[in-house]
Amino acid sequence: MGTKIHTSSQYEKELKEVKENLIYMGALAEKAIREATRSLLERDSNLAREVIGADREIDDIDEEIEEKCIRLLALRQPTARDLRFITAAIKINGHLERIGDMAAKISEKALALNEEPQLKPYIDLPRMAEIAEGMIRKSLDALINEDCDLAHQVRIEDEKVDNLNEQIFRELLTFMMEDPRTTHRAILITQVSKSLERISDHARSIADTVIYMITGKNVRHTDSEQAIKG
Amino acid sequence: MKINLFYKLFGTYVVIALVAVIIINLQMGAHIKATIQERVEQNLLANSHLLTLTSSLADLENTVDRIAAIADARITLITADGRVVFDSETNASEMDNHLNRTEIQEARVKGQGSATRFSRTLRIDTLYAAIPIFRGKEIEGYIRLARPLTEVKKSIHEMNIVLLQSFLFVGALSFLIAFLFSARFVSPIQEMEQFTTRLREGEMPGTLLISAADERGRLARNINHLVTELKEKIDLAQEEKGKLEAAFASMTDGVLVLNNSGAIEVVNAAFTHMFSVRYADIEGKTPLDAFRNIALQKALDRFRGNGVPLSQEILLEEGDIRAVDVTISPIRGLPRNDEKTMLVFHDVTRLKNLEKMRVDFVANVTHEIKTPLTAILGFIETLKDGAIEEKEIARHFLETIHNHAQRLNRLVDDLLTISNIEMGETKMSFEDLSLISVIESVLPIIEQQAARKDIKVKKELPDALPPVKADRDKVIQILLNVLDNAVKFTDREGAVSITAHDNEDGRVAVRISDTGIGIPKAEIPRLGERFYRVDKTRSREMGGTGLGLSIVKHLLMAHGGALSIDSRPGRGTSVSIFFPVAKEENGISR
Repeated sequence: MGTKIHTSSQYEKELKEVKENLIYMGALAEKAIREATRSLLERDSNLAREVIGADREIDDIDEEIEEKCIRLLALRQPTARDLRFITAAIKINGHLERIGDMAAKISEKALALNEEPQLKPYIDLPRMAEIAEGMIRKSLDALINEDCDLAHQVRIEDEKVDNLNEQIFRELLTFMMEDPRTTHRAILITQVSKSLERISDHARSIADTVIYMITGKNVRHTDSEQAIKG
Repeated sequence: MKINLFYKLFGTYVVIALVAVIIINLQMGAHIKATIQERVEQNLLANSHLLTLTSSLADLENTVDRIAAIADARITLITADGRVVFDSETNASEMDNHLNRTEIQEARVKGQGSATRFSRTLRIDTLYAAIPIFRGKEIEGYIRLARPLTEVKKSIHEMNIVLLQSFLFVGALSFLIAFLFSARFVSPIQEMEQFTTRLREGEMPGTLLISAADERGRLARNINHLVTELKEKIDLAQEEKGKLEAAFASMTDGVLVLNNSGAIEVVNAAFTHMFSVRYADIEGKTPLDAFRNIALQKALDRFRGNGVPLSQEILLEEGDIRAVDVTISPIRGLPRNDEKTMLVFHDVTRLKNLEKMRVDFVANVTHEIKTPLTAILGFIETLKDGAIEEKEIARHFLETIHNHAQRLNRLVDDLLTISNIEMGETKMSFEDLSLISVIESVLPIIEQQAARKDIKVKKELPDALPPVKADRDKVIQILLNVLDNAVKFTDREGAVSITAHDNEDGRVAVRISDTGIGIPKAEIPRLGERFYRVDKTRSREMGGTGLGLSIVKHLLMAHGGALSIDSRPGRGTSVSIFFPVAKEENGISR
């Protein structure tokens, strides 16, 4: 009896560790986006290089979480709730890792952009970054607190980011048509914008996974309105 | 059911009293019954003796009839062989031989005998007493007196009623006494019990008033004493707690306490302010979950790794970015399984900014000096390499060198001015000054500059202003600096205007407005910083040192005045300068 209590509390501890690691990884991803955006806005190449270097840490945690999850699956044979949590964790882990890669990519673009004069003042990019960052936080909060409403909110915000991305693309198109010499910079900026859009997509996928984990309903391929009604 | 002390005590008393009364009554009843029977028996025997004293059996036969009526007894005469010769109640001839009757046998042997028995003759419980009648030494016969026991029974019954009455009376009385006594005995104890119960429930019930002089009284006094002491101790503890809480709440450093499982337990007001959170939102969460701050988490992990208190600087990036120095240490003196961690956050944003300003200042000064110096060196080198021979070029170069040297000179002058004001070494020669005349004297210089850019200079001055207490040269320097800026940052064909009015709060205000490029709102607070430029390249092209507004700000501070800047990018800037009005006694308007 004594050993059983010991193992189950050990199991609880391992589950809690996975949760903690996910939050930590989420915080790292948020930080990466924040700093990548700042390196672009403030033309701070050192910061950009730091972000690229920090992606390593995210990759390490990615491996660590995956390993922990697989070990939990293999050794503890979790059922019901715990099983859903662990599978969700594996998926979310993958998304966060990709977000980290995107942040590094933004920083690479920032490095290239910092070599040339600023094309235009950035207005929509910081807003996109801010929303994307908030989406990651909210989706992870939704995971920890099992909060479906918050997860739905993330889905709605994804649309805002998509709209901003299109807006930026249209704006840069006019720049390129007016003055072909800006093409290189404009393309770099559209790539940054695209990366931010991808980040928000990943955040939305995390939210979808959370909703699936809580309700058992698959909302991945429905739009946000329907998801709320359903 | 709860049996309380009162019922126990009262019950005991009542039982004791009742048992005593019952025992007494039973004993008395038996005793009195025996006494009555004995008396009747004695009476019968005595009468018998009296009868036999003088009479023989034969005599008695004749007289016994009357005697029976007098003696109130049934009299039977029996011969020595047991034959009944006379009976006062029935016909003697119908009666059987009485020799074997107990009382007769007893009388024959002992000289007298008695018995109680159911009379078959009279069909009633009867008490018999018999003695022998002697003739000489011989027993001639027996005389037997009998009285029905109904009478005895009746008196016993009467006695029983009396006893029952007394029983009821005594019982009721003892019941009452027991009740009163128990109640009186128990009530102080109940009072103490209620008192201590309230005390246990955390109330402060005051003082226990028990008048009993015995152990109960002493117990009450002891309880009172304990309560007083307890109250004092609680007050003391609360006072201490209050002090600590007040200190905790009013600390300017943020404090966060983590419990043994790493969740947030307590924070103070400074902390919630510093992190812009509400306690309810973060209570019970881990710092990572609550703040998502990687640097903080890393510091915590490091502390958990080796348990050594540590101090580290972290950045808070929610809202305004702030630098915070966090010190993590264990809280000592707690039980082993309840280890807590304390995090103290000290806001070092201001310090960091100052440090940055200092570093920036050095970098700026170096840069500002280096730029003209490089130019000067470059031109001199060119001259040395032969350009000096070409008169026209040499002249042009010397002109440039002169310009740069002048700029260097201005820079050093400005730096000196600032450092002198900052160190309080600038001599201020205050006098009562009319700002109107100072403005009038400055305007021509500016108008000249403005004319070159086709900028109109408008002035709008009142006829008279209260004199201000100021240093004339310094006021000129202030006005020139501000006006110079206005002209410099206004495009061609713009306008600069200067107005002055009594602000009616003991200050005179001079407002200098332009239609220039304006300043973004976020930059305004930093304008007084040394070498701070809104648009770095543009400002330097215009030959500014980056120290102008800084000097203005410092000079105004030395005057006790103030500076306020209002601007909208693209629309223009207006700078208001406030001077304190001179005191009335020597206030002569000039």
